[in-house]
Amino acid sequence: MEKENFEKKLSDMTKPEIPDLKHEDLLAGAIINAKDKSIVGWWWLSAPAFVILMLMMKSVFMSGTTLISNIHEMESTQKYMSIIFFLISPLILIIINAFTIKRIHFLSGSPKLVNFLGTVWYNVLIIILSLLILIIYLF
Amino acid sequence: MDETDLLNRIRDKPENFGELFKLYYQPIFGYILRRTGSFDDTADIAADTFLKAFRNIHNFRYTCISVKVWLYRIATNEMNLYFRFKQKHNSIFKRLSIEENEIFKNLISDDRKEIESELLKHEQFMSVLKALKMLPVKYQEAIALRYFEGKENREIAEIMNINEGTLKSLLSRGIEKLRQKCNQI
Repeated sequence: MEKENFEKKLSDMTKPEIPDLKHEDLLAGAIINAKDKSIVGWWWLSAPAFVILMLMMKSVFMSGTTLISNIHEMESTQKYMSIIFFLISPLILIIINAFTIKRIHFLSGSPKLVNFLGTVWYNVLIIILSLLILIIYLF
Repeated sequence: MDETDLLNRIRDKPENFGELFKLYYQPIFGYILRRTGSFDDTADIAADTFLKAFRNIHNFRYTCISVKVWLYRIATNEMNLYFRFKQKHNSIFKRLSIEENEIFKNLISDDRKEIESELLKHEQFMSVLKALKMLPVKYQEAIALRYFEGKENREIAEIMNINEGTLKSLLSRGIEKLRQKCNQI
């Protein structure tokens, strides 16, 4: 069959049509009343955030110490904990937030950058802070 | 109806989402059905599409694309996700708590019967759909939107988020591949 004929056949053939759907009204109500249940619990992220805040407080209130020196001090005394707090946690946060930004961009109808930044400023901030912690820890 | 006005009313009062649902549920349901050929898959994907739309409508900006294009985009994405992770998929009807559950099940059952008998009337369409499903997803999307939904190239390009030139070459190559598949079946 010629390509043009085939295209005509595709356009002309009858396609299934949708009648009035009886379940429509009940489903609309269920969607409007649906509660947003997040699968991922975020409470576990409070532990690294707490440690970093403590180190920040220490650098503010103890003279002669900085956040960088406190992070490196913890690294020498508690190697594995510091890897979890300053390497694994920021990496997870960067990945989660990058995917969240991508998802929100799609679900917002791919808006312009200025409009979009207003929506995802919180995720961008978390990524910047996580990058900062990573850089301090690694260099 | 003015879509911006409807969006503002939904932002002020989420219950007004019902109006948007009423406007677009049937066309989106039809689009998904004509891509999947299955009532159960369609009901699940359509419900997921509108649940995502409801949860994200406060982020939607009307200046870029219309609500209709936005819903088609979500539906297209949901179809891709559904078929990629079908084994792990948890039906939305188990996740949503629907009041009057028994009544809902009966209504779904009535709709299933009606839609399945409608599908049986279109044997030629079902055989083309069978062949279409063997093609890569990007060809399926372009061909279904052009020939099953009868949409213009400009709108299809917006839904697929590609430019019209890319769409034309996708359609041209896709039609050739589909023709070969149909000849094989």
